[in-house]
Amino acid sequence: MAKLGMVFDLKACIGCNACVVACKQENSVPDGVFFTRTLSHEYGEYPGVKRVYIPTICNQCEDAPCEKVCPSGATYTRADGIVMVDDQKCIGCSSCAVACPYDMRTMLTKDALTTGLFGTGELTPFEQQGYGRYTAGTAVKCDFCSERVDAGLKPACVATCPTDARIFGDLDDPNSAPSVMIRERNGRQPLPEKNTKPKVYYVD
Amino acid sequence: MIQTSTGLVGNSFKLGYRFQRYWDTSMAIAFFSAEVGTGLFLVSFYFDLLSGMILGLAITGTLKPYFHLAHMGVPDRSWRAILRPDRSWISRGAISIGLLIGFGALHIINRSFGLEATLGLPAAAGQAIAYLAVAGALVVMCYQGMAMSDSEAFTLWASPLVPVASFCYALTAGVLATLAVGWGVLSEGQRATLSTVALTMLLIDLAVVLGILLHARGKSKGGAFSVELLVRGEFAASFRNQVVILGLVLPVALLAVAGSVRLVELFALLAMLIGFFFFRTLMFKAAVFEPITHDLAGSIGLPSAR
Repeated sequence: MAKLGMVFDLKACIGCNACVVACKQENSVPDGVFFTRTLSHEYGEYPGVKRVYIPTICNQCEDAPCEKVCPSGATYTRADGIVMVDDQKCIGCSSCAVACPYDMRTMLTKDALTTGLFGTGELTPFEQQGYGRYTAGTAVKCDFCSERVDAGLKPACVATCPTDARIFGDLDDPNSAPSVMIRERNGRQPLPEKNTKPKVYYVD
Repeated sequence: MIQTSTGLVGNSFKLGYRFQRYWDTSMAIAFFSAEVGTGLFLVSFYFDLLSGMILGLAITGTLKPYFHLAHMGVPDRSWRAILRPDRSWISRGAISIGLLIGFGALHIINRSFGLEATLGLPAAAGQAIAYLAVAGALVVMCYQGMAMSDSEAFTLWASPLVPVASFCYALTAGVLATLAVGWGVLSEGQRATLSTVALTMLLIDLAVVLGILLHARGKSKGGAFSVELLVRGEFAASFRNQVVILGLVLPVALLAVAGSVRLVELFALLAMLIGFFFFRTLMFKAAVFEPITHDLAGSIGLPSAR
């Protein structure tokens, strides 16, 4: 079975946030909630100032702390390695949110699904069609666009990235694009000292 | 020169530390009431003080579930919290609270009226019921700290001293509350013992709190950042005044100087409880997520975590 993962090419990322918008469109993510972000950081002194962009996403950890602490069994890992949340089992205790070292989970408040983008209590047609997939009070997170993956497509953020800074594939296949990139460019996992074995790598 | 500080960034798209914001005041009250109530039950159990056991169970059995359910996103599914005792401290804790409340209530019935007369149970079952209630109480006094220290996300929490703090604070609150509840019932000898234990426990609490800070400061930059928030940053005044001075130093001074005066014992209890509550809330507030790039730092020129 595949072990799906992703590689972020920090040299390729231009911080356009097209991935963030694509994720919002694909998953109808409510206002103020993000399954992926492109963090920016400036460093150095004038005239040698630099800015780097660091994409972040749920790392779909092999040893997922969110899954271990979940008291209701709502968080589980699929055979292909994607960590999922069953919103019909989630009790909203937020144990997973405080267990994730990467702050990649969000507790979905009722307000997030009822306030609407313009804060008037009226949902836009886009919100109306999309919010049915969510349950207020539960934990939500990136699942590598599992419906798209099941249909043989790439996650929306990967498909939309204009610079190919996000590379998605099977980490168990030594010839897959992410495996080759990790091997050849010394891919590194975020916060490896947390022992979560992320399936997301960074190369530069 | 490379910039070496990445500060708090809130919910922005900046790289830096982010506050823990999932466990809030409601959870702090739930933790606090479970520990105070269970501590009171356990110490009262030891001294066979019925009123203390009833009050302890009442606190744990009402405030803890109420505030925990208030925190939950989907409270009507809260029964599911008991489904994973093999891996989740939340599940173990929920089961232990059930054990404590159920067998604690049976023990009170046994002590008040006798099991045989009220429920038709053999008198010999009383011992087993008492042991099960105590076992439940011991787990409840620790499990919330275990749930916190289990989380590798926050260095401030990821310390073996955090469950120790839960247990010690619970025991301290239990000892001081038993002194207050047992006024006129406990003998002079029992009161003197409780007063000495309270004094000792307060000093142990102080050592454990300092130990948590030292452990966090040495373990990672995120831990050091949390400690900085508590010692010099925006939570410093609250930590120093409420947690340390009011919650630990003042009760020690009061008990050491005039421990046998009831009003003084009540003041010591009140001060300790306020300090304990602030400790609970500040442990939640000062926890920070670390920037994810510590170990990518060298390659892209960012400041390193260690």
